[in-house]
Formats: sequence, structure tokens, C-alpha cells
Amino acid sequence: MTLPAGDAAPRFDAWSGRQPPTGLLVVSAIIGVVFFGPFAYVIWRNIDLGTDLGSLLWSQKTWDPLQRSLRLGVAVSLSAAVLGTSLAWLTIRTDLPGRRIWQILAPLPLVFPSFVGATALIAGFASGGLIEELLAPLGIDTLPDIRGFGGAWLVLTLFTYPYVYLPAAARMASLPPSLEESARLLGRSPRVVFATVVLPQVSGAVWAGGLLVFLYTISDFGAVALLGYDTLTEQIYADRLFNQPRAMGLALVLGGVALIVVITERALDRRRQRIEMVRTRDPLIVPLGRWSWPSLIFVAAFLGNALLGPVAVLGFWAWRGLTADINSVGLSTDLVDLVWPTIHSAQAGLVSALAAIVVVMPVAWLTARYRSRLGGATNSLVVTGFALPGVVTALSLVFWAIDAPIIERWYQTLPLLILAYVLHFGAQATRAAHVAVGAVPQRLGDAAATLGARRTRRFLTVELPLMTPGLFAGAGLVMLSTMKELPATLLLAPIGFDTLATEIWGAGERGSLAQGALASLVLVALSAILTWVVVIRRLEHY
Amino acid sequence: MRTLKLLLALLLAMAAITTSCGDSSADESAEGPAGAGSDEPITVYSGRSEDLVQPLLDDFTDTTGIEVEVRYGDSAELALLIQTEGDSSPADVFISQSPGALGLLAGEGRLATLDPALTGLVDAGFSASDGTWVGITGRVRVVVYNSELVGEADLPQSVLDLTDPRYAEQVAVAPTNGSFQDFVTAMRSELGDDATLEWLEGMAANNSPNYPGNSPIVEAVGRGEVPMGLVNHYYNLRALEADPSVPSANHFLPADDLGSLVIVTGGGVLASSDHAAAGSSLLEYLLGEEAQTTFSAETQEYPMLAVVAAPDGLPSLEGYAADTIEYDLLGDGLRGTIDLISNSGIEQ
Repeated sequence: MTLPAGDAAPRFDAWSGRQPPTGLLVVSAIIGVVFFGPFAYVIWRNIDLGTDLGSLLWSQKTWDPLQRSLRLGVAVSLSAAVLGTSLAWLTIRTDLPGRRIWQILAPLPLVFPSFVGATALIAGFASGGLIEELLAPLGIDTLPDIRGFGGAWLVLTLFTYPYVYLPAAARMASLPPSLEESARLLGRSPRVVFATVVLPQVSGAVWAGGLLVFLYTISDFGAVALLGYDTLTEQIYADRLFNQPRAMGLALVLGGVALIVVITERALDRRRQRIEMVRTRDPLIVPLGRWSWPSLIFVAAFLGNALLGPVAVLGFWAWRGLTADINSVGLSTDLVDLVWPTIHSAQAGLVSALAAIVVVMPVAWLTARYRSRLGGATNSLVVTGFALPGVVTALSLVFWAIDAPIIERWYQTLPLLILAYVLHFGAQATRAAHVAVGAVPQRLGDAAATLGARRTRRFLTVELPLMTPGLFAGAGLVMLSTMKELPATLLLAPIGFDTLATEIWGAGERGSLAQGALASLVLVALSAILTWVVVIRRLEHY
Repeated sequence: MRTLKLLLALLLAMAAITTSCGDSSADESAEGPAGAGSDEPITVYSGRSEDLVQPLLDDFTDTTGIEVEVRYGDSAELALLIQTEGDSSPADVFISQSPGALGLLAGEGRLATLDPALTGLVDAGFSASDGTWVGITGRVRVVVYNSELVGEADLPQSVLDLTDPRYAEQVAVAPTNGSFQDFVTAMRSELGDDATLEWLEGMAANNSPNYPGNSPIVEAVGRGEVPMGLVNHYYNLRALEADPSVPSANHFLPADDLGSLVIVTGGGVLASSDHAAAGSSLLEYLLGEEAQTTFSAETQEYPMLAVVAAPDGLPSLEGYAADTIEYDLLGDGLRGTIDLISNSGIEQ
């Protein structure tokens, strides 16, 4: 059962007549106010500290790093969009050998904290590093310089493309096969079918993912600092303690720029034609034929770089630590120490993924189903929140919660930490939820209504199952991001709530590569298991 | 349907977690009025790592019966946390990796004045002159170098020599790192702003490679990416312990040279703390002979207590110009230091 593309156009007209339910509006307004919290905090700090925004904005010292942030953000999101979409198509829609394994592996690079990825890349590729040692016998003794823009672009592309891969894969898994079948019956080659039939239908998901990559890139600190590319966020960190007026001014600039990008993207998104379809059969699997091997080599080579490379470097460090005879305090390597951090990471990741979906669902429903300024504004705030550096979001929550009646009781407990994760990563779920809601035809709900099904029942039995692949893809992103989150975890977690991310950080602080590497490997393994359970199986079942 | 069941199970799990958290906080508040005196736990925000501090704190609890709860984190971010929490901060004691973060909080009136008997345990230069915090251990600034690339004869005798063109592109720096900033602040208090700016511009003219911190510099020197770097002394000792084959070595500049500044880690008691006495007894314990010996032996940091020996194989702190450096300036004056660094063009 599919709707031809032409039917999509009148959709807005048909819906604009409907008033959104009051309950939905109220809930969305409350969510909007909560997500405005971090911005209100930044604005208040600027007023309180008397930041001279005028001279800050006109300073070359603001523009240079801002330009670098934007250049890096655009470059990384473009490359991540291309790679994420290609991988999604190859692993979901073709008969690529071993596709089920690739499906589990492909989202995993997202889980490397970017400072871990950058450290591994430097150890591997930098002058005098592991790769050079390996290649030296072959007569190769200089590798390209990985510091600066090139290195930052490479690291961030390798570790952020899953933001595109997961939503694109979810969308491709729920596409109806009939249009593609028709196109192929008409003699179109698979490549043309992909470009004219598949791509337009997944473009919403790809844009959503690309925007997340952009926002992540401009808010990243770890990779750009280690690779020596001086962005706006790097400046915010450098000034965070001793030049707070400037740091907070720059945070406001970063938030403002991100908001402009988010609103622009939304405007463009609205103009793109939406094609509303639902599938009743399994998606079409394209036989790769003679392209089988080249495709396999591409996927293997790419994931080799994004996943195997860092894992190999980490494995080398961990092995060296486990076999070496080291007695100094803090340098020993112990797997048993990681049991509780592993449980805590899984707990935090799963709960915040679910919480994020529940929180953003009303907003996604409102924006996808009705024309609503309130929905649009809330949605923009939720998405833009991802661009604020994690420490700013965490401090804003401290600022609002510490003296607030009732809420203060929850200060530095798990619920408030989860709220911090949701505030920071809600964007990843809201875009996925929006795409998922957009993929459910209004007509199905209407049909169920005429058959006498009540609102809740319609949602649970008709609409929710159709949205599941998209929702779980969004939940997966939030889960992976939460498990590697550091600044908010350090400041807001209950005392003693160590996670794998804080273990990795602590090991790095005391110079123990081995324990940090071991914890990173456990994090990757845990992510693989949870990604399979939460996301990948759903792509298959629906 | 399975999805719904999973969702339901997760919701229940979340509810269970939430309730258990609620319970524990309820317990605490119920205990609050009843549990008086030394039975009440104190809360420490520690910028120093868990492996190092936790065993000492456990000993402290065994000795005094005072329970200690610790939040570990980055010193700068914990200082921001205390600043944002204000008078409601749950923290009683702040232990910091650098004097800068302590100085910032002292400047905002967040730290209580310590008992002079406590600050008197260390040399005058190693505590705040207003008595708001006290040094616990010391790290010495050194030149880390790759012994395969640099002969001992070619090593500098003063950090001021490094602006010489023969050191062009040879010496790695970390302009955004707290310890480097502390070192520049010390230079300002010693030589004045003009001479400091001149030195920074000289380093900039030499295209001194930038790194984000001490560990990346030590790693780069070990790989041979850059022959030398300005760091704190113990990073290289740790790197060598993990892999003794790395050809990186520490070069200690003469004791009276600016390049061998002693940077302390320190601690203070929060002005908002309800457990000030227990807090200062913790600092007193960390300055006791036992804890100081542990620091010296386990972390190769310099003890603040004169009776405890310097770490094995390291020069003694004797003669290091501690009293000439006004540490308070390292807190309050850091804003000026950052401006100076950023104006010099050394950040690349």
C-alpha cells in the first residue's frame, strides 16, 4: 500500500485545517521552556558578567575560530552524509556479503569519545607513530601531517558518520519496494533507481543526520584540541575559568550560529517534498552482482579505518598494560575494576535513550502533524541544544537546580543526570522521531478512528509500530552518545556513579594508557551488544 | 508487541532506579538532623585522580572515623561547579591540580581562611598568603627531551635561552594548559609583563609547536615528532613506567631558573561548609608524614613536608625559588596571563 508521490503535496493543506490538541500544545510548551534553560543560563551569565558582546563580535579573534568551526562543520557533515548514506544503502538494501555483521559494526565508531579516537589516530599516524614503525621496513618513512584541519576532518568524519548512517538505514529499512520494482521493470539501472527513487525518500533522514554531524562538530572539544585545530569551542574551553566573560560570550555566539543553521535547515526541509509511504513487505534487496567485491572492499576498508584501526591501537596499549610488570599506583590494569562502570554506562545509556524518546515525541508529533509555531520553536531549541558544549549544559542545570524548591532534592542524583543527557542529546532523538512520525500516513490513523479505535489505542497499535525503526534509531544515537558523555557525568552524577567514560578519562589523567584503552574496548563491546539489541534487530523485524 | 513489552520493562526499570534514588536521598535527609558531629560524612571535590587520592582518604577514615564522599573531576571544571553552586555547594573540601583554580575560588570568597598552624606546615611560598588554601604536593617544570635527537650538551641552561633561533621548531609548548599558564604568570611576577611578552613572542617567532597538554607533549617527544618540550616533571616518569624503551628524558634546569618553577597541587575548605573542622583535619592528614611519603613514593611528586625525602632519583627541592613567587598572583593574575599569551601569537 503506497501513495504516489503526487499525493504528498496537498497534505499540508489537508492538515492545516486541523487544530493541534490543547494537551499536546501545553506539553510541548513545557518541553520548550525546559530546553530553553541552557540558553537562558548563557544569556544570564553574559548579562551578569557584563560581557561586551559588541567588541567580541567585531574582534578578529572571534571571527577566525568561528570561521574554522564553520568550515570544519560543513566539511565533516558533507563527508559524513555521503559515507553514512552509502553505507546504509549497501548494508540494508543490497546483498552485500556479511551484511548483518556490517549492520552491527557500522554505527559503532560513534561510541569512541573523540579524544580517544584522536589519541589513537595520533599514536597510529603521527610522525614516529605505530604505522610509521610498521612501514619503515618498506622504505616509507614519512606520513602526511595529520595535525590541523585535515586530521580534525578525518577523525570527526570517521566518528560521526553514524549520525547519518542510523537514521538513513532506518528509513531505508522501511521503504516500500513497489516504486523501485516499477522503476526496475521499466529498465532503469540500480544506480538510477537509487538516485531517483531511493535517495529522495531518505533525504529527510540524511539531512537530519547531517545537521547532527554539523552541530556535534562545532561543539566538539576533544578532537580539535588534540589535533591542534583552533575552533570556537576550543576557545571557550581555554577561557572557561579565567576569562569567563569571553567564554560565555563565545558560547552565546556558538548557540546563536547554531540556531541560525537549525532554523535555515528547517526552512529548507519544509520546502522539500515529503513522500509519505508505508511498506507492507520486506524492502527490495538489490543484487550487487559484479559490484559485490568492490563494495565489500569499500565497506571493509572504511570500517577498518573507523573501527578496526582505533581498536587495534587500543588493543595494543591494553595488551602492553596487561602483560607488563607495573606496580606503581594508578598504572595497573584491571578488568574487574570495570564491572560497575560497565553496568552504570549501560543503565545511563538505556534510560536516557528511552527518556529522550518519550520527551521529544510530543514535539515531533506536533511538528510533523500540524502547523504550529510553538512546535517549530520548541523543535529548534531542542536541536540547537546539541551545539552547546557539554560543560555549559551541565553548569546550566546546576544553576537552575541547586536552589530550586523540590528539584534541589534531586541535585546530583540519577534523574537529574538523565535530564542533562536528554537536554544535551534530545536533538538526536527529535530528528529521528520527526522522520518516523512523518513516515506514518495520517490515513491509517483516520481509518482506525472510523473503525472506532480510541486515540491511545490508535497510537499504540497502529502508529507506534510503524514508527518503531525510526524511533529506535534515534534512541540508539542517544544511547551511544550518553555512554561516552563526560563533562555532565563528572559534574552531575551521584557520587560513586563511575561510568566507562569517566574511567577512560581518569586513566588518561593519570597517564595510564593501558587502563584507558581497556575501558575503551569494553565500551565498544558494550555498545555493539546494545546497538544490536536496541536498534539493529528492529530494522530486521519491521 | 515485543517492542511494547521491552518498552514497558525499561519504563519499570527506570521507575525502580528513580525510586531507589529518591529513597536514598530521603534517607540522607532523615539522617541529617540526627547524625551529629564526626559521624556525618564530608564531601570532597577532587581534581586529583581517584587511584592516588582514594587510598589516602580511606586511611583518613580509618584513623578519624570521618566518612568521606568524593566527586572526582577536572580541577577547572570542579572550580566552575563550586562557583555555580554558590552557598548551596555540597562540597566541604576542594583539592585542586593547580593553584589557579584555588586562587579563583579564593578571589570570589568561596574558600575559608585556614588555621595558621595548618598553612604553617609548608614553606611560605607554597600556600596562599591570605591563608585560604595550602599546598599538598609540588611538581617541577622541566624540559622533556628525546635523547636520540638531542645531546646533553645541546640542552638549554635556562628557559630564557629557548627564544634563540637555534631552538626554532624544537620546543613544544602547551599555551592553553594550566601549568604553562602558571609558569608564565610566575615569569610575569619575576620579570614583568614586557619581558614576559618578549619571551612569548620569541617562542612564537621560533614556531614552537603547540600541543593541548603535558601528556601529548611527552608522547610527541617520545615518538621523535618534536625534540623537546616544556612540561611538569612527572608525566615523563609515568610514560617511562608504561614503556621503558621510549627515548624521552627529563632535563632539570638549574634550581634558580624560572624554567624550574615549582607548581603546587593544593586544597582548601569551602566557606559554605558545615564541616569546616573535619575538612581542615583532612588537609592536615594529607600534610602528615604518612600521606606525604605516599605521594613522594607513588606519584613521584615532591612532598611539601621538609622531613619527607624527595622522590627517588630526583633532585631535592632545596634551593628551588619558592618564596620569590607570589602564588596568589597565579590565581588572580591568570586573566592577564591568558591575554598576554593570546596577544603574543604563540598559539598557532
